[in-house]
Amino acid sequence: MIALVGPPNSGKTTLFNRLTGLRQKVANYPGVTVEKHLGMVNLDDGRQVSLVDLPGVHGFSARTLDERVTRDVLEGKIEGMRSPDALILIVDVTRLEAQLMLVEPVLDMDLPTLLVLNMVDELEARGGSIDQEALAERLGVDVVRTSARTGRGVEEVLAYLRDLADGDTSVENIERELSNFAGSQPLPVIDAFAARRRLVRSVVQDAGFASPRPSRLTERLDSVFLHKVWGPTIFLAVVLLVFQSIFTWAVPLMDGIDWMVGTSGDWIAAALPDTWYRSLIVDGVWAGVGSVIIFLPQILVLFLFLGILEDSGYMARAAVIADRTMYRVGLQGRAFLPLLSGYACAVPAILAARTIEDERDRLATIFVTPFMTCSARLPVYAILIAAFIPNKPVLGPIMNQQAATLLGLYGLGVVAAIGTAFLLKRTLLKASPTSFLMELPPYRIPDPRTLLLRLLDRSKIFLRRAGRIIFAVTIVLWVLTQFPRTEGGPPDIEQSALGTIGHVIEPVIEPLGFDWRIGIGIVTSLAAREVIVGTLGTIYGVEEADEESFALQEILRRDLEPGAAIGLLVFFAFALQCMSTVAVMRRETAGWKWPALQFFYMLLLGYLGAFISFRIF
Amino acid sequence: MQLPTVAEKAHIEDLRLGDVPMQQEVELVSIDLPMELAEPLLERGVLPGCRICPVQSSPGGDPVVSVDGSLLALRRETADCLCVRLVSSFQDVG
Repeated sequence: MIALVGPPNSGKTTLFNRLTGLRQKVANYPGVTVEKHLGMVNLDDGRQVSLVDLPGVHGFSARTLDERVTRDVLEGKIEGMRSPDALILIVDVTRLEAQLMLVEPVLDMDLPTLLVLNMVDELEARGGSIDQEALAERLGVDVVRTSARTGRGVEEVLAYLRDLADGDTSVENIERELSNFAGSQPLPVIDAFAARRRLVRSVVQDAGFASPRPSRLTERLDSVFLHKVWGPTIFLAVVLLVFQSIFTWAVPLMDGIDWMVGTSGDWIAAALPDTWYRSLIVDGVWAGVGSVIIFLPQILVLFLFLGILEDSGYMARAAVIADRTMYRVGLQGRAFLPLLSGYACAVPAILAARTIEDERDRLATIFVTPFMTCSARLPVYAILIAAFIPNKPVLGPIMNQQAATLLGLYGLGVVAAIGTAFLLKRTLLKASPTSFLMELPPYRIPDPRTLLLRLLDRSKIFLRRAGRIIFAVTIVLWVLTQFPRTEGGPPDIEQSALGTIGHVIEPVIEPLGFDWRIGIGIVTSLAAREVIVGTLGTIYGVEEADEESFALQEILRRDLEPGAAIGLLVFFAFALQCMSTVAVMRRETAGWKWPALQFFYMLLLGYLGAFISFRIF
Repeated sequence: MQLPTVAEKAHIEDLRLGDVPMQQEVELVSIDLPMELAEPLLERGVLPGCRICPVQSSPGGDPVVSVDGSLLALRRETADCLCVRLVSSFQDVG
């Protein structure tokens, strides 16, 4: 196995995709949710080499999750994974000096290493140059120049892999001068870095490196994107664009999927004999799977946008602009990306927080992420708002009460997130002021292959994570409505096992103005929020219950007081009814403490919020 | 080479990256931060002796600096903890 190492924004993933194409899979390292990208490289003689794409890191100090995983992989400490036989270190040659800070710790691993100088096209275009042979001689490793985006030099990387496969390990025998610098006795950290830097300096000098001129494009764009007035204006426009894309452009696709699931469900129902398992397959499995797939367009559109923003270099600038505001509430600029993703789904959002180096900042960020109004809340909001909030204008023709309520619920989430972050940073995650350091990569046109492959990854992860849980819950629910059998058929919902559960919890939710039916809805929505719509449909015996169902709205109006309805909305705004989020939190924090705290804190907030709403309205 | 007088030294120590005007290249003298906060800087090559040049100010008033051809965004609180000195043409540093 060969490992691909490099700093962030060095084109590592682009090279990985070039080498492996679609022969790759994403998994998680045991115990942590750092993604493991494993791929197969086909050599021209038919042999295959496995390649692992490690997270982008600046060093191996193990300060962040990514650094810890990278170090563990290189040292062969990951369970079920051999330590790599060779390394490919890739750097952005336009920023050679800063990026080579990794070279010493990598060469210290004493493995055959190939140094890939990526983005050589850009170096040349900006008038820089490097003597590849001198660099190879100086470091005692093979060096190739590539432009992973255009494919230039990728052949040479393949040739190196072929030599490795031939057992040509001549690279190992070259005496390395580096040992002079990196003595085995531990140095004080600052001296170690100073030594590393001196080494990089001399290496770069010996290799006749001529730095490129600063990128004019980057300078010009930064003077606009970080401008006092234009910067924040463009920032807001970008945020609005992302929202727009999630909520309007993805909707036709979602409707399409909804229609396809419904129609195909009908076909299946028609094709199956009318026995007990027909309802399980059609109403349980098929509808359950459909309820997950429906969110896929939204997630894809969101990640396409975020991917473009990230790969183009804008996201780093957005984080810088957001940092001042975030800092005030106890978070930092890097939290911006996860929080924005949280409007689609908290699960990928929590994963996106991995880039936050400061552990306390990361914990605070992922703790408040589920307060962002994710798309699973929308069907619930939609039906309750349609049923209870009159469609009267508030601000003249611009906004009606329904839209204002929806906006209010979004605002409620933001307020809760800010308040919670503020509270956390003054109690459990109290820390001396943290720093914020963001590397601003040069602006580049995103590589479509890399974008597409990542989208593919994202959708797989989403379907697997969310799918499994919702699938299981739908089946359990179905079973609970079918038993105990009365006269050989399914019982009335009130007599079923599910109805019994509803009655058991009724005393707890009575102060909120909810009866046993809503209770069942809440219990089932603990797995995933949107499940409540289908559950209420089942309970009230409304066929084809969805958020536009008038029949369901009618019954809800009869059964629920307006105050309780608003309470239910507030409950959904606060409570953490999402097992996928809990599961991801457990993995990301390596324990039950944080997810448990988060779950009960949000539940308490939801309960109190619903109680207060019921009394007021 | 003469040692700097106390007054001169105080002057040197007083200049912080946060005070440096745009496009004025300076040399980093010391990092007045706990190790935990300094390490991310060190990893990116921001070490005593390196040349830093503020190139841009964010809308919030935080500096963007150029180090070794990389652009780094810092908070001004961090920039105020980086002691620097002006690089004059006759001084040979590095």
